[in-house]
Amino acid sequence: MTELLKQLCLLDGISGDEGRVRDFIISQIKDCAEITVDPLGSIIAFCKGEQTPKNKVLVSAHMDEVGMIVTYINADGTLKCDCVGGVDPKVVYGKRVRVGRDKILGVIAGTAIHNVPKADRSKAVPFDKLVIDIGCESRQEAEKLVRQGDSVCFVSDFTRFGDGFVKCKAIDDRAGCAIMIQLIKDRPKFDTYFTFVVQEEIGLRGAAAASYTVAPDFAFVLEATTASDIPESENEKKVCELGKGAVVSYMDRHTIYDKEMYSLAFETAKENSIPVQTKSVIAGGNDAGAIHLSRGGVRTTAISLPCRYLHSPSCVINERDMQSAYDLVKLLLNRTYNK
Amino acid sequence: MELLKTLTELCAQRGVSGDEKTASEKAAQLLSEYADVSTDPFGNVCGTVGSHDDSKQTLLLEAHIDEIGMIVTYITDDGFLKISPCGGTDERVLTAQQVTVCGRKSITGVVTSIPPHLQKDGESGDSASIYVDIGMTKAQAEKIVSLGDRVLVENTLELMRGHIVTSKALDDRSGVAAVLLALDKLKGKQTNYNISVLFAAQEETGERGAQTGAFSIAPDLAVAVDVSFAKTHFESEEDCGIMGKGTMIGVSPSLCRELSQAFIDTAQQKEIPYQIEVMNGKTGTDADKISVTKSGVKTVTLSIPLKYMHTPVEVLDLRDIDYTASLIAEFAQGRCEI
Repeated sequence: MTELLKQLCLLDGISGDEGRVRDFIISQIKDCAEITVDPLGSIIAFCKGEQTPKNKVLVSAHMDEVGMIVTYINADGTLKCDCVGGVDPKVVYGKRVRVGRDKILGVIAGTAIHNVPKADRSKAVPFDKLVIDIGCESRQEAEKLVRQGDSVCFVSDFTRFGDGFVKCKAIDDRAGCAIMIQLIKDRPKFDTYFTFVVQEEIGLRGAAAASYTVAPDFAFVLEATTASDIPESENEKKVCELGKGAVVSYMDRHTIYDKEMYSLAFETAKENSIPVQTKSVIAGGNDAGAIHLSRGGVRTTAISLPCRYLHSPSCVINERDMQSAYDLVKLLLNRTYNK
Repeated sequence: MELLKTLTELCAQRGVSGDEKTASEKAAQLLSEYADVSTDPFGNVCGTVGSHDDSKQTLLLEAHIDEIGMIVTYITDDGFLKISPCGGTDERVLTAQQVTVCGRKSITGVVTSIPPHLQKDGESGDSASIYVDIGMTKAQAEKIVSLGDRVLVENTLELMRGHIVTSKALDDRSGVAAVLLALDKLKGKQTNYNISVLFAAQEETGERGAQTGAFSIAPDLAVAVDVSFAKTHFESEEDCGIMGKGTMIGVSPSLCRELSQAFIDTAQQKEIPYQIEVMNGKTGTDADKISVTKSGVKTVTLSIPLKYMHTPVEVLDLRDIDYTASLIAEFAQGRCEI
């Protein structure tokens, strides 16, 4: 799955511009599922199993990643930009980016630290004071390369480091996509719907439409969630920890999760010696927020990978957690089909 | 000499202040094509071009070989590395940045950050401490990392557009490249001066290599080639140089006015693009130390305009390096007497 994750993470696809990711995923699963692409661009994949279960079960992950968008081309050839999804301007400062369809190399930085007043030297530079420099000297020159509305993606290579750790951009939520592709290739025994959705990062939008279409009884959302197990955070502020298994939440900012399914997840993990944990802070949210309110309501579970530095060019996960999440989802699905 | 290739090679080397060995070796290798090269215990690379004639004055061409970075000061119980700046690193660039830790072997790490989901509104999360996540326990970390190991961001050089490049360490590998290119232009030419070269260590931590290196060489005249601020989007032309408009010739109370003028005259005579950079005292470059070596050395600064100084995404125009090298080469051939 790591190789699959690498291929997925290195594709650029901010919210609303997921085409490359969609094409790749379809190429991976086209022989294993009936595929439709809905009007917003989400993939709905139906895997016909040997049997049709009592419950209609959906597994969902989002294809989009956070990034930026070009809002204006300045007279001096630099690009004004704004964030797409929740991007802290601190994580883009001093970084390389790729702009537009031709993936033009740009850099983001500003006044040299020597010329910044002492009091401001550790302050974040907000997006309205940041520009992307693509090495052009004029608007005319820049307009030949980029357009207003072009997507801006982080430049970040896929690197394995330390004891089983992986670093790249877009692990949120290509990790979920990778697990789903693997589940599809495994050919589930029972009929199962899989949705690879768009626009999660700007408000759980693709999932709202796709879950309406599928109309499931039960849903599993595969995600990457905030881990803050770093020296700046102590005890419960760590939220969850890398290497300690998949994260199953009881509540976040969008969803109070189905209590019975929450308990079933922990029982299943325990019986099969799969590491699992929950979050110690009620924060963040994911497509479960849209799916669990779809139509007359869907019994929804989120299974997430603990991920450090979420929404930055350097997301970090542990490969063992990815395996735990995959193992757990697979077992939970089997306990849900005919529940 | 192929400028882009040379600069790419120079920038790719690791050389955070006080740990310049890798970068110095590359610079020494490149310099050996033009000069007799020696290194000193401080980490400086020195070169003597041709045989020196006692009747001539000695002109020193200088640039610094070190780059800014970070240094490991502590390993936490959870195996994270606490780091501090080594030189004037712009700490704003470090959040969620991939870094290389130069330990017993080189390893990858990520500078920690708190994601927006966990920040309170308006909280920028300013922290006095900077940590690197190397994905190891303390016991694993201690086998590879020692306190004092250097940490840096390893962006290799990329050509952006035409003559525009971005890389880490363009400050001051571009200066090193300019000196090498000047020597290349002088190949087989008569010079009015004996030429010596110094690629100095530890500029970023207080111009220290230049102090000891210049003492050993004891030149009569010196040119310190470094970078200076090029205008970026939110800045004013009044305060900066302009990228692509030529080398910035320093004029300052701490520099030799006649030497500055001789470079200006040379640029005008040979129609080499230049800009004037006026400073009101010290220059913040190795010129500050070279000029007060022994009985004093007539010194000028030539600065290559550079955007985003002390970040891993420094940007410059290759033509400015070429203009700088041409100006040095023309001056060395005695276009203007001082």
